[in-house]
Amino acid sequence: MVEMAEKENVRERCKTGIDSLDNILYGGIPRANTILLTGSVGTGKTSLALEFLLHGAIEGEPSMFLSVTEASEKLMVNVIPYDFFESKLIDDGKLILIDLPLLYQRLGMVSAELSMEEVGLLVSSILDLVREMKVKRLVVDSITSIGYKLKTQEKIRDFILRLARGLSSQGCTSMLVSEVTTGSQGYSTFMVEEALADGIILMGNMERRGDLLRTLQVIKMRGTSHSRAKYVLDLTPAGVLLVPLLKGGGGS
Amino acid sequence: MTLASRVASELEEMPPSAAVSLQVGVDYYLDAIRAVVDIYAAKRDVDVIYVTATISYQAIADILKALEIDSSKVHFVDCISHSMMGSSMQGGQVLFVESPTMLENIMLKTEYLLRKSEAKEKLVLLDSVNSLAIHNSNNVLTEFLHIFASSLRSRGVNTLILTVIEHTTPELNNMVNLVCDSVIRVKEEEGPK
Repeated sequence: MVEMAEKENVRERCKTGIDSLDNILYGGIPRANTILLTGSVGTGKTSLALEFLLHGAIEGEPSMFLSVTEASEKLMVNVIPYDFFESKLIDDGKLILIDLPLLYQRLGMVSAELSMEEVGLLVSSILDLVREMKVKRLVVDSITSIGYKLKTQEKIRDFILRLARGLSSQGCTSMLVSEVTTGSQGYSTFMVEEALADGIILMGNMERRGDLLRTLQVIKMRGTSHSRAKYVLDLTPAGVLLVPLLKGGGGS
Repeated sequence: MTLASRVASELEEMPPSAAVSLQVGVDYYLDAIRAVVDIYAAKRDVDVIYVTATISYQAIADILKALEIDSSKVHFVDCISHSMMGSSMQGGQVLFVESPTMLENIMLKTEYLLRKSEAKEKLVLLDSVNSLAIHNSNNVLTEFLHIFASSLRSRGVNTLILTVIEHTTPELNNMVNLVCDSVIRVKEEEGPK
């Protein structure tokens, strides 16, 4: 046990900058891990992912948001309310927002389903951007939307594996945002995402006696011990805040 | 010396990071509020986070105004207006929790206000355990008080947990005593002790 703890301490951490989450992860996400940030709609996934990037950018780590469904201008509306956001981060190239549909266009990927060759081209184009801009934190929002363009489990697996390996080799810590339906059994839509990710952070809406609470739980995280308890979160201008879910001797 | 002044001087003796049980006779509620907000907090330049589950933020703000108490350094977490279908427009001095059953959200809103506060000294007033007990089971309320007070203590924040003497059961007293370091009792015939 002592040896394991020592090894964990040696592994460099990528602090999310969200104090409570870093405490839950005993210091942060192990550097270069690929995390699946999963949950149903309205649970705060995009806000948490953006905050992760913002803190990275503030610390001087180039941080990239790869948006599949929302345009950058719309995303900015989510970022600006943060007390710690400064537009300088974008001007200085520390916070980079990229619309994936524009990348599809540039690469001539106009068909509804990508071929295996196009999957390879897409991954290498993303990794080229990461290399050129020395990106240390990447968010893909969402991997589910990309999955719909890949269609088959084989292509989705190939995409995630290649991307995760490439990012890891460049020391880039990444979050793949995954959308699941409420009450879903697994942690991802295509079921391959959760198996390939180094970590899973599950966000949810929990109903208790008519109250709807936003919750967060770390399901797995390779390379570190972590709390497996459920926490209640609030999205505030000071960032994501977390407190333990009260059980009251019972709970769900 | 007025009753409020006597209570305020008791508060002065609070050690840092203490959790104190403020037991108030039903007729002395306003004296207790005056002691905390007007005399103690104003004198020491303390930011007060007032968690209200008894009466709405607006009612307390009106009372403070009527008593000519400066409430500029008081920030409210209102857990009751929303469930009474009252006004719950977020404003500069108040954050609303949808229901007094959402105890986690009380902690979250308090945490947010603590982060925003630039004052050196901060005080959280929880008004009151009796009101929260109407909406929550003893088990969950005990757990809440334990986590809430411990978390505030670890951050160097003083906590006052208010109970109304006439409405308090032995179970509630035990619950509060479990997390508090000392007791201030506000009743005219006894004075604070």
